[in-house]
Amino acid sequence: MRRDMTINLVIFGLLVATAIGAHLMGEGFTVTLATKAAIFGLAGVGLNLALGYGGLVSFGHAAFFGIGGYVTGIFASHAASGQPILTLPFTLAGSNEMLGIWPMAMVAAGLAALVIGALSLRTTGVYFIMVTLAFAQMLFYFAISWPRYGGEDGLSFYVRNTFPGLNTFDPIQYFAICATLLGLALLFTAVVTQSRFGLALQAARQNSQRTVAVGIRPYGIRLTAFVLSGMIVGLAGALYADLNRFVSPAMLSWHMSGEIMVFVILGGVGRLCGPVAGAAIFILLEHLLGGVSDYWQALLGLLLLAIVLFAPGGLIGIVTGSRRHA
Amino acid sequence: MHEPILELTGLRKSFGALVATDDVSLTLRPGEIHALIGPNGAGKSTLIRQITGEIRPDQGSIRFEGQVIDGLDAAARARLGLARSFQVSSVIPDFTVLQNVMLAVAGASGNAFGLLRPALSDHRLTEPAAFHIEQAGLSGRAGVKAAELAHGERRKLEIAMALALRPRAFLLDEPMAGMGLEGGRQLTAILSDLRTEAPILLVEHDMDAVFALADRISVLVYGRIIATGTVDEIRANPEVRRSYLGEAA
Ligand SMILES: Nc1ncnc2c1ncn2[C@@H]1O[C@H](COP(=O)(O)OP(=O)(O)O)[C@@H](O)[C@H]1O
Ligand SMILES: [Mg+2]
Repeated sequence: MRRDMTINLVIFGLLVATAIGAHLMGEGFTVTLATKAAIFGLAGVGLNLALGYGGLVSFGHAAFFGIGGYVTGIFASHAASGQPILTLPFTLAGSNEMLGIWPMAMVAAGLAALVIGALSLRTTGVYFIMVTLAFAQMLFYFAISWPRYGGEDGLSFYVRNTFPGLNTFDPIQYFAICATLLGLALLFTAVVTQSRFGLALQAARQNSQRTVAVGIRPYGIRLTAFVLSGMIVGLAGALYADLNRFVSPAMLSWHMSGEIMVFVILGGVGRLCGPVAGAAIFILLEHLLGGVSDYWQALLGLLLLAIVLFAPGGLIGIVTGSRRHA
Repeated sequence: MHEPILELTGLRKSFGALVATDDVSLTLRPGEIHALIGPNGAGKSTLIRQITGEIRPDQGSIRFEGQVIDGLDAAARARLGLARSFQVSSVIPDFTVLQNVMLAVAGASGNAFGLLRPALSDHRLTEPAAFHIEQAGLSGRAGVKAAELAHGERRKLEIAMALALRPRAFLLDEPMAGMGLEGGRQLTAILSDLRTEAPILLVEHDMDAVFALADRISVLVYGRIIATGTVDEIRANPEVRRSYLGEAA
């Protein structure tokens, strides 16, 4: 327990130290890489709540990532054009305020998670994986065939959204925003998984028959976890859109769902900071090997295979020497 | 005559051509231990699962404390105080003993949705849990992971979880299975105390324990109850001797 906490602090500290170090050495690009790691880590932390703690193997979390991204892109592009997003049933104007956009992104992703979760949680196992995938693919094809917001080409917005008192264009300041949100999400996860709800969620994963026999219905517990998970991933999507000032259907594709899952598995399923470590390693490998060979994904595949076969606790499990803790 | 706590009327359940429960009617009265015995495959566990709501009977009805519970799911029945243990012990393996029992306390309270308060520092969970752990004879083992418990201790953990439900009736499916002589004796004493909390429907193969504990015994063979009576009546019943006790002796 204490050892896990130390590792969590070390992982988070390393990420922050990398960004600050790079900033001091004038390596703006590395700061941006660290920012990407923080954002992907946040997406992984979100998925981990469902996958790691709840045992809900969702292969459709790109849906929430993409929705968060599109909400951001749509608000920003309307703010630039001055046209309202909606006039009916009420007028909804665009915005370039992050503090206004994030809640929208999270609510939209949360509602989508509520609908997708309510339907897919009626299935289990492979069916659950397929149903979540199918919903995300539906959104993917919808985005491709929706010309208003760029369709296949995606949607660019030229100015990063704003945050009061900060210059979001400065890489280190934008990193600070993303890292703070990541920290808050980690704190939230730590608190939630230790609560009554967290107890019920983890019990339902391990033995749902027993959970029912003490009077707890797994469905509502899992649905709540799925929605919270979707909201966190939606926030990550919003940050990612702002990082690139661009959203495209790729954010909704099954590749993205797979990548988020890879962060979690690589770092350690059901480990608080596992997804952060997983995302950081993923980005490091992509950066180091992506230039050398187009086949870096194959190497990643081998690494994943090794982890799944020999170290199911992920990288964090290797360090702590234990599989998992409740 | 007391109203029965639990009353099964005309229950019937088939799996394909196999009739696992065949017109079973049975009552559990306040304060009693009602043992359900019968050979393997007689349908004892299937009957328990219909009472808990894990499976639905094809026909018949179940009343619990005067209320028809046919429409309630398993979680709702558990919250009413129908507490069960499983034939193959069933606990949350990665949780400690304390966490397992806290889970049951949370379930019984009907509030498993507190998101922010740490469960381990919530006295409304930890205090009752600690009490029931002691009651089930597991003092000093609260911090041990359930997966690391000895078989007999896991049985006791199931009892502690059942107690945490503030039970109005216990449904215990072969609680002595695999306990060994000493463990069986200990558990017999614990079950004898449990009766003061709530009546017990006890499925058990260990005839010594059944004869020591039971107020009434029902004998189930091929899904049918062939006899119900006191210990002495059942011991003397020729049909029971032939179809069940005879085999066992
Ligand atoms: N879900 C099921 N599907 C098909 N047959 C079942 C099922 N559950 C139990 N049975 C059958 O019903 C009969 C009674 O089983 P069970 O209730 O477990 O007996 P007991 O607990 O008395 O040993 C057995 O023949 C068993 O194979
Ligand atoms: Mg049985």
